[in-house]
Amino acid sequence: MAAHKKTGARHHRIIVWSLLSLVGLTLLLPLIPYAVAYVNPETGGVPNPGADLWRAVREADVGTTQVQGVDTGVLINANGERWRHFRMNQLIPIGAMLMGSVLALIVLFYLVRGPLRIQGGPSGKKIQRFSVFERITHWFTVSLFWLLALTGLILLYGRFVLIPVLGPEGFGLTASACKEAHNLFGPMFLVAILMMFVTFVKDNIYARGDLNWLLKGGGMLGGGHVSAGRFNAGEKIWFWIAVLGGLVLSASGLVLDFAVFGQGRAVMEISHVLHGIAALVVITVSFGHVYLGTAGVEGTIGSMTNGYVDEAWAKTHHDRWYAEVKAAAGKTEEAGSVGGGATASSVVSPVRDG
Amino acid sequence: MFAQLVDGIFWNIALWVFGIGVLWRILSIFRVRNKVDYSVPRGSGLAGAIGANLRRFIPRREMISRTRLQVVAGYLFHLGLFALLVFAAPHVLFIEAQTGLNWTPMPYWAFIVSAQLAFIGLMLLWFHRVMHPVTRLISDADDHIAAILTFVVMLTGCMALIEGFDGLRVLHRFMVELWLVYFPFSRLMHAFMFIPSRAFTGAWFGRRGVKA
Repeated sequence: MAAHKKTGARHHRIIVWSLLSLVGLTLLLPLIPYAVAYVNPETGGVPNPGADLWRAVREADVGTTQVQGVDTGVLINANGERWRHFRMNQLIPIGAMLMGSVLALIVLFYLVRGPLRIQGGPSGKKIQRFSVFERITHWFTVSLFWLLALTGLILLYGRFVLIPVLGPEGFGLTASACKEAHNLFGPMFLVAILMMFVTFVKDNIYARGDLNWLLKGGGMLGGGHVSAGRFNAGEKIWFWIAVLGGLVLSASGLVLDFAVFGQGRAVMEISHVLHGIAALVVITVSFGHVYLGTAGVEGTIGSMTNGYVDEAWAKTHHDRWYAEVKAAAGKTEEAGSVGGGATASSVVSPVRDG
Repeated sequence: MFAQLVDGIFWNIALWVFGIGVLWRILSIFRVRNKVDYSVPRGSGLAGAIGANLRRFIPRREMISRTRLQVVAGYLFHLGLFALLVFAAPHVLFIEAQTGLNWTPMPYWAFIVSAQLAFIGLMLLWFHRVMHPVTRLISDADDHIAAILTFVVMLTGCMALIEGFDGLRVLHRFMVELWLVYFPFSRLMHAFMFIPSRAFTGAWFGRRGVKA
């Protein structure tokens, strides 16, 4: 009987210790690899399937999926992080610095140098510089450009500038409105750029004297005004920046606007980068154009409002164009006096209205 | 509060002003008495009226080179605006909610194309009005207010397209209400008057045997 009790107690101890050992091993055994890795990291290469999976995801490995579509096999787009980094840490701050510096330089230049005056003052005689169609084309492009520039800048800088003023809700509403307007007006800008190109390209081809104009900085280096045709080299450079920049903006904008033609994230990211850089460059250069067309050069703004400039302005800034206009007017006057048809006012410029 | 006003009493007032104003303008024109014409008619007044209405859709050959921009921009704007007004999906849904009438709206891509054509047309027409010395001279505040108000109505409508923020919808509806109130007292009335106006001129000349 006593022997039977001893045997029973021993069985109990065996069971209890077995259970305790099992629990202990269950808890401790998984820690062994970590302990090994801790003691000697070189030999602790424990394969972690989770880590491998997320590493592959981060490296944008294309997996398999039943969903058919562009980039549907990519769980996380690793380039997106690089794109986000470029947008937040380079495009936004560098763009702001670029635009701010150029604006500051223009203000400083105006304060130091003041507006460029017409040599000898205005003569009071006007000649036509731009036709009605040329001015319509210009202002059509200008309005679309600034509408797109303002909405685009709000989308780019709004979270820094407008959230403190409007709050998150107000900015959300503004950003939504700006995005819709930007997307809608974008394709129209392509029409405007093409109109600009067709209308003005013939007078914006490189001509003899343009290099000299550039070397003398348009008269700022070396003193005095430099001879120029209808458009000087600076205006021609602006024309090509506007046209080529506008084409880049339009093409990249269309890719972003109509994301239904199978373009993947990579194409969208490249388009966004190109769009942002081109926009900031064209906006920055446009500051100079706006300054020279308004406050910077006396008597220029009239050429784009009523189409006419003072003859002295033309002689001062575009002497070769002025000579061409007068020569053409002289020829027409001669023909008119023979035929008895044309009047002086009708031949003051070869540029037609309409 | 403002949204309730815009969706409620402002909308009702705008509709009443628009409806009564348009009727009053049309009736006041039709009530003007002309002198009785006792001359022997040399042609049909009705044919003249119909002919003038149709011929005015095409510019006169002699004027094409001078009016190409206005004609093209005019068609772009009016056709685009008509498509937006009648066939844009949000408008079809709105009309259905108000009247119970409905029809098939145009697809999204057609909406975008129509909006862009309308904007291009309106902007070119307004810039022509401002830039051409003759149209600038004969234009008054009404012409500019009508053009700018129409532009703003279209712009706010497009801004509210995503329908994510009720504030944008309310803004668009408020601008539409201003436009409706302004309509009867302005040259926007040409939307209703261009057919009778052409008909009157065509009939007057047609009766005298002249193709107007």
